[in-house]
Amino acid sequence: MGVPKKDEYRAVDDFVGRILSRKNDRRSFLKGAVVTGSALALSGCGNGLPGMGEESVLAWQEFFKANYRLMTETEKRDTVTRLEKLARIRQGIDVRISTREPRENVLFGYGFNISRCEGYMDCVAACVKENNVDRRSKTQYIRIFEMEHGKMNVDAGDGKYFHEVPVDGHFYMGVQCFQCENPPCVKACPTKATWQEPDGIVVVDYDWCIGCRYCMAACPYWGRRFNWNDPEVPSSEITRRQHYLGNRMRSRGVMEKCTFCIQRSREGRNTACVEACPTGSRVFGNLLDPDSEIRFVLAHKKVFRMKEELGTEPKFWYFMD
Amino acid sequence: MDHSSQKGFFSFIIDAIRWNLSGGVGYWFFLLILAGFMGSGVYSYSVQFREGLSATGMNNIVSWGLYISNFTFLVGVAAAAVMLILPAYVFHDPDFHRVVIIGEGVAVGALVMCLSFITVDLGGPLKVWHLIPGIGLFNWPSSILAWDVIVLNGYLLLNTLVPCYILYCHYKGLPADERKYRPFVFLSIFWAVSIHMVTAFLYQGLPARPFWNNPLLGPRFLASAFAAGPALIALVLAVIDSTTSFKIDSKLFNKLRLIIVIAAVINLIMLFSEVFKEFYTQTHHSLSAVYLFFGLDGHDALVPWIWTAVAMNITATLVLALYPGGRPKVLLPALVLLFFGIWIEKGMGLIVPGLIPSPMGEVVDYSPTWVEINITLGILALGIFVVTWLIRPAIRVEERYETIRKSDVPV
Amino acid sequence: MIRFSATFSLLAALFLGVLLSGCREGGGHAAGVAERIKEAQAPIAVDSTITDADFPEKTVLAMEEYQGGFFRVEARRELIERYPCTGCHNEKEVTVADGAAQAHGDIVLEHGEKGRRLVCFACHKPDNRNLLEAEEGFAVDFDHSYRVCGYCHFRQKRDWIGGAHGKRMEFWAGARVVKNCTSCHDPHSPRFKKRWPKTYSLPLT
Repeated sequence: MGVPKKDEYRAVDDFVGRILSRKNDRRSFLKGAVVTGSALALSGCGNGLPGMGEESVLAWQEFFKANYRLMTETEKRDTVTRLEKLARIRQGIDVRISTREPRENVLFGYGFNISRCEGYMDCVAACVKENNVDRRSKTQYIRIFEMEHGKMNVDAGDGKYFHEVPVDGHFYMGVQCFQCENPPCVKACPTKATWQEPDGIVVVDYDWCIGCRYCMAACPYWGRRFNWNDPEVPSSEITRRQHYLGNRMRSRGVMEKCTFCIQRSREGRNTACVEACPTGSRVFGNLLDPDSEIRFVLAHKKVFRMKEELGTEPKFWYFMD
Repeated sequence: MDHSSQKGFFSFIIDAIRWNLSGGVGYWFFLLILAGFMGSGVYSYSVQFREGLSATGMNNIVSWGLYISNFTFLVGVAAAAVMLILPAYVFHDPDFHRVVIIGEGVAVGALVMCLSFITVDLGGPLKVWHLIPGIGLFNWPSSILAWDVIVLNGYLLLNTLVPCYILYCHYKGLPADERKYRPFVFLSIFWAVSIHMVTAFLYQGLPARPFWNNPLLGPRFLASAFAAGPALIALVLAVIDSTTSFKIDSKLFNKLRLIIVIAAVINLIMLFSEVFKEFYTQTHHSLSAVYLFFGLDGHDALVPWIWTAVAMNITATLVLALYPGGRPKVLLPALVLLFFGIWIEKGMGLIVPGLIPSPMGEVVDYSPTWVEINITLGILALGIFVVTWLIRPAIRVEERYETIRKSDVPV
Repeated sequence: MIRFSATFSLLAALFLGVLLSGCREGGGHAAGVAERIKEAQAPIAVDSTITDADFPEKTVLAMEEYQGGFFRVEARRELIERYPCTGCHNEKEVTVADGAAQAHGDIVLEHGEKGRRLVCFACHKPDNRNLLEAEEGFAVDFDHSYRVCGYCHFRQKRDWIGGAHGKRMEFWAGARVVKNCTSCHDPHSPRFKKRWPKTYSLPLT
């Protein structure tokens, strides 16, 4: 399996290379557009405050930037600088946006112990906080379903419970993006705004997404969320350590999803949900490391994946003690 | 031959606009109504643009609603022009040949509506340039939506260019050179089928949605399109027949009726086949169908609609098939019934239940907001406007050309 | 007519060909992630950029080995309020009236099956209260309480050593550091308590 994977990266590299070799006309188009856009913006805000002028210039430059995968290192640096400036202007806070690349020999995998989870939902709260998810629409990446004994289908579970947990005769099952190895959402996207990173995380370039929501229809796990309104997070609650492909602020009309807390996991840290879980039901680690905890789970526990028959190859396994 | 053979393309366009701006009180009243709907649509869209798609009734579970439903249905209407093109250009049927241009006009109008519906459904309509190959990134051939972008725009181009060329020749009083447009006609026949198959594949290719993930969807799309589309065209022809001097032979209505009946019967057979599969051995995958026809967990917003649609479909198909008395008096209402029956069944009746219950089994109801309804009405008005403005000059050119031809015959 | 059908079938074949080429794309891992995992058997060097200083909690080297060798575990001894226990429990007998109730009255002992609850000295060493003891002669420091717990809960201990029970602290990468049994479980009442969830999901009806 290692070989075709490598080939695939090469294919992507080739593709990116081809695009970049054509970059001259592409760049000049974009540059022209940026200049025009900035000029328009400046003339439009001639009488406004100087801060407003800067904001719209930055916003226009952001509007005409390329897909993240086609950006050069310089372009990545530039957009991060712009986004950090915009955060200062819009939210009045200093954020640090990383573009940290995946590590070599890492493929993230996740285990969920359905005999341990008690349904406290600490993970859900931690996830919302960590990932700067819209508070107004109460968007959440993780759902916990309260399941009656004797049934294993989430459909039969209750995802809207709010009472003392755990309830006798029930178990709890967490669902989030499973970072499928064969993701139907990536295949669906018409603009290549969502893709799988080499460490297995399926990410979205928020600024490239046009908001058609086809990926949402294609996901069999309800793993994706849409920004129906401008996302609202109180400035004081914004997690400032961010990643370009992770928890940076989204805008209205784009898709977002769980990224295994890419801003944490790429730095070697546990995801926010693992960190918050009071019962140790969540196992996170490197699938390519034979010594990792997730590999121990796969080797020593009877595991299953949700809707395995669809061939999506989730990298998220349920197991029992 | 009059002097118009020397006229250029520019004056053709100017004349077309001039003709469209001249009309009786009724015509202006009609345009005013359309403008009213379009205006309220533009205003509602400005609200949606400002607030985001939260101004619609859609949510994270029902993520596609009225817009995509109408889009899906109208792709069928656009594709149905092939039911006139095929007999007209390939079988050289004189009746169809005379009205094929009207069918193509309806197709263009339908496509304009399709593309508008897609645009208003986007979360980032200003970012559509991301779809343009070269400056954007196009996920082709992997994404079926990328395919749809190509086939819809291609079909729009084909259905604009061929009639435009023919009309322009006729405008100049010359016969159109068949060798020049014939290849494009063949291409557009193939293309018509493909726009609808690709649109069906958009849904059919999603294992996440068992209600759509059904190999019958593509063929059913075609069957329902070839019933609803010609029904609409027949209605348009009836309107033209009664409001203009361009008279349409009743033989043509009968031919269209046959096409519609066959397509409608095939559509009903397929519908029955699907219903049988969903309900004979009800599986977990039948929940969407249960929601649609009977309601689920106390949610039943679509139940009255789908039963209305089924009743309309069956009644209309029976009336059209038996055609009591052969009078247009029964024909036209039956066509209206069929058209709206398929609209409900293939629009909201197909898109919304595909998303309910959610993949996690959650059931919610969807009802469009006023913003959504106004935008939809606005786009429909835009489509009617486009069709009117295409067909009026076309009829004028054709009528004039017919008289020129007739006067030429003795020579 | 022949020309027509020939053109048509050619177009159809072309269309299907390209459409199917789209089907192949994205199906690159048809063999499955399990195979990919199976092939990855070479241990991966531990990330040395993560050091003890990155952990806010104090840790000690565990007296066990997992599949990757030695690992560390959260230290618990210093977190005990009145440690060392010999401050009270020394050679002199504790003579304060209600001493036991005052010092340990908050402890609810709900460990072991109903009717067969464990007693203090099931785990605590009677003659040296600074230590635990699961069996005579098997003295254990509070930092290594997992050795006592594992005396009965050997299955959980096996899972804990491997990584299917408990969890790693802070990092998935770097040298392995895990939570101790008593980091999560109250040893006197180890079962998690019933409580209200931290948040709720939007009622979607």
